[in-house]
Amino acid sequence: MDGGGGSRNQGRSSRFRGPGNPSRSSRSDLRPSLPGTSDRRRPPSAVAENPTVEDRGGPFIGTCPDMCPAKERAQRERLRDLSAFERLNGNPGKTSSSLAVKKFCRTISASEMAVADIRPLPVLQDTLRYLFRLLETSGYQFEMVHDFVFDRMRSIRQDLSLQHIVNDQAIQMYEEMVKFHIIANHKLPKNSDKSLHHLNMEQLTKCLISLYDMYAINRKSNSINKNEAEFYSFYVLLHLGSNSQGDSLSLWFRKLAYPIVTSNEMCFARSLLRYFRLGNYKRFFSTAATEVSFLQLCLIEPFLNELRALAISYINYSCYKLHSYPVAHLSVILMMKETETESLCEACGLEICIDEDGNRFLPTKQTGFSLPRGFQNYSFQGFDRFEREVCSFDLAI
Amino acid sequence: MSYYLSVGEAHRRITEYLNRFSDAVQSQDGRSLKSLLSVSSPHLVSLADALLIFQDWGRLIKNSQQLNDVLQHHLRALHSFRTGRFIDAYNAYERSANAFLLEFRNWESAWAMEAVYAIAYEIRVLAERADRELASLGKTPEKLKGAGSFLMKVFSALTGKGPKRVGALYVTCQLFKVYFKLGTVHLCRSVIRSIETARFFDFEEFPKRDQVTYMYYTGRLEVYNENFLVADQKLTYALKNCNPRSEANIRMILKYLIPVKLSVGILPATSLLQQYNLVEYINVVQALKSGDLRLLRHALQEHEDRFLRSGVYLVLEKLELQVYQRLLKKIYIIQKTKDPSKAHQIKLEVLVKALKWLEKDMDVDEVECIVAILIYKNLIKGYFAHKSKVVVLSKHDPFPKLSGKPVNS
Repeated sequence: MDGGGGSRNQGRSSRFRGPGNPSRSSRSDLRPSLPGTSDRRRPPSAVAENPTVEDRGGPFIGTCPDMCPAKERAQRERLRDLSAFERLNGNPGKTSSSLAVKKFCRTISASEMAVADIRPLPVLQDTLRYLFRLLETSGYQFEMVHDFVFDRMRSIRQDLSLQHIVNDQAIQMYEEMVKFHIIANHKLPKNSDKSLHHLNMEQLTKCLISLYDMYAINRKSNSINKNEAEFYSFYVLLHLGSNSQGDSLSLWFRKLAYPIVTSNEMCFARSLLRYFRLGNYKRFFSTAATEVSFLQLCLIEPFLNELRALAISYINYSCYKLHSYPVAHLSVILMMKETETESLCEACGLEICIDEDGNRFLPTKQTGFSLPRGFQNYSFQGFDRFEREVCSFDLAI
Repeated sequence: MSYYLSVGEAHRRITEYLNRFSDAVQSQDGRSLKSLLSVSSPHLVSLADALLIFQDWGRLIKNSQQLNDVLQHHLRALHSFRTGRFIDAYNAYERSANAFLLEFRNWESAWAMEAVYAIAYEIRVLAERADRELASLGKTPEKLKGAGSFLMKVFSALTGKGPKRVGALYVTCQLFKVYFKLGTVHLCRSVIRSIETARFFDFEEFPKRDQVTYMYYTGRLEVYNENFLVADQKLTYALKNCNPRSEANIRMILKYLIPVKLSVGILPATSLLQQYNLVEYINVVQALKSGDLRLLRHALQEHEDRFLRSGVYLVLEKLELQVYQRLLKKIYIIQKTKDPSKAHQIKLEVLVKALKWLEKDMDVDEVECIVAILIYKNLIKGYFAHKSKVVVLSKHDPFPKLSGKPVNS
């Protein structure tokens, strides 16, 4: 569902170009001045001074010098449709060329789009750099910056694809945007709105697929792009728990180029996949805690609790009834705090007992086990290695 | 050859073809029409040569001629095909095929079914050649995708209640071939649903040949989704009903049926693997027999590319659990010869050592984890004691056989 982000909040749904915009359509007095509509009714003589993408026919290079076209800027100032990051001195009706960033707008046809509103590659690179800087320095809550960057990055991708830019620079931009979504998946507050994570994952998947297309276009004979294997391996980690939903990983592997399948990055991802599919929780968690990169860890994070719960069910089922399983040991294996292990066992419908010395145990062969529908936010000790990464965004273009 | 062809002879061949075409349509002779509508088959080469000599063939097709649209484009396709221009040939053939389909829809009976088969086959094969030509010119191959859309149109023209239904499975199989080649296998789903939910047409009424192909492809899909029971059923059906003399087809089916059978605990004889040249499975089977985890890894590594390409790699990887089961059983048997009274207790340390010997580094915790999984999945009956680090096997049937059922999930 492209543009799913649109319905998320008011800010995003106010498509300044959309003719039937729900949030603005009531203000019919403003509509004639919307760039989109005015473009369409433009007299033929205007073509020469303000060409649209359609007029150009074939490939074109946008001419917008700023992060946000002047027309959109003026428009949004008038509509007071400025994000907190775009307001000049906090004024909701005033922005500047160094603050405003072009919004994502879903439906644009070539006839409505002026070449002057499309940013060329160098401007797009600068825009992306600006957004990444904002992530580091804004001081706002991550959710809020994410919301802004999420939308503005989509607009960057749109400008790239409108101009059919698929070169190395574009690839690099996509790679960084993929990374952003991966890290965001970890940084978005876990107990908040589930749809935030969902939308983030959706854009992540879309970015990855586009990136794979770009790699394919740029592939020269047998050589592969330097980061290609790494970014392909992300796909495997994203689909660790994929239960047979048509396009299984088996089918996906069939299509991959051999140098990618056998790359170190892919082999590592495939071994994690093997541990996960086998249920080998011990090896999965110890590998995840010591050998994975920060990005890989962010990707597998959503699967950790699922496997932990599975581990508990294995142990509960298979362990000798007269020897309860020590929670302390279970915590070491599952790489979580003892209190969290206890809470997870309880979430699985299992009781915990305490001996005279205050040690906690999981009595086994309990019959009440059930896989929880959702999980609380449990820590994973593997993240301790990445203190610096957790606190910052290590993105660069 | 075409050098020696006189204009008169060329003219004669073309008119003869047109007459035969007319006759076939007039007398509703689907079989004759079929051979007249192919492009790639050799028996139209002489006609194609005639088209090269008698350039003005277009005027020989009378406006009153039935299906004259079909003919115009078809001859153009033949002409381009003969001169090795496959993109042009495809484009013309697609037009011809569309024109034919338009007429076919209006016919009550299914007399032209054979011709539809020919078209469904030809358009796919032609599209593949056209795509190769496109790729060599540095352009995007897109014709096979186009052929897929055309075949979908044919499919929907056949899936009504009438007598044409009998052809639906053939077209489905051609669609499978397109989708598997394009890697857009998810598109098979709607076609499968349509075939499998049709109440008014019994699967057994389709031609045997199409049944086998259909079961082969849908069986493969089930392998990818690891639905082993259904995969087993479909592929076994294909095996039982395919032409027993076609070794190549049997091999293709076995390539997928063997990993399925292994997953449900049924091992093939080595002679079978040798007879059908499926030697890549020999060591996998050997690993399962001997509990040799190292051998399993090596076998998977050795034929990694082949297994990944055919899409069975992940299925074979899952056999690891059965190999663990076998290893434990071997240890149990050895212990039994030494001290029958204690054989049913296996120390986790012993397992660690055995695995070390197989070049697999695992600590006691990981071995405990593997044992817990084996017990949970009913590959072992018994329990493990965490404190004393030992597996205690049930006295009765400690290593249950899968015998046709997949490992519990």
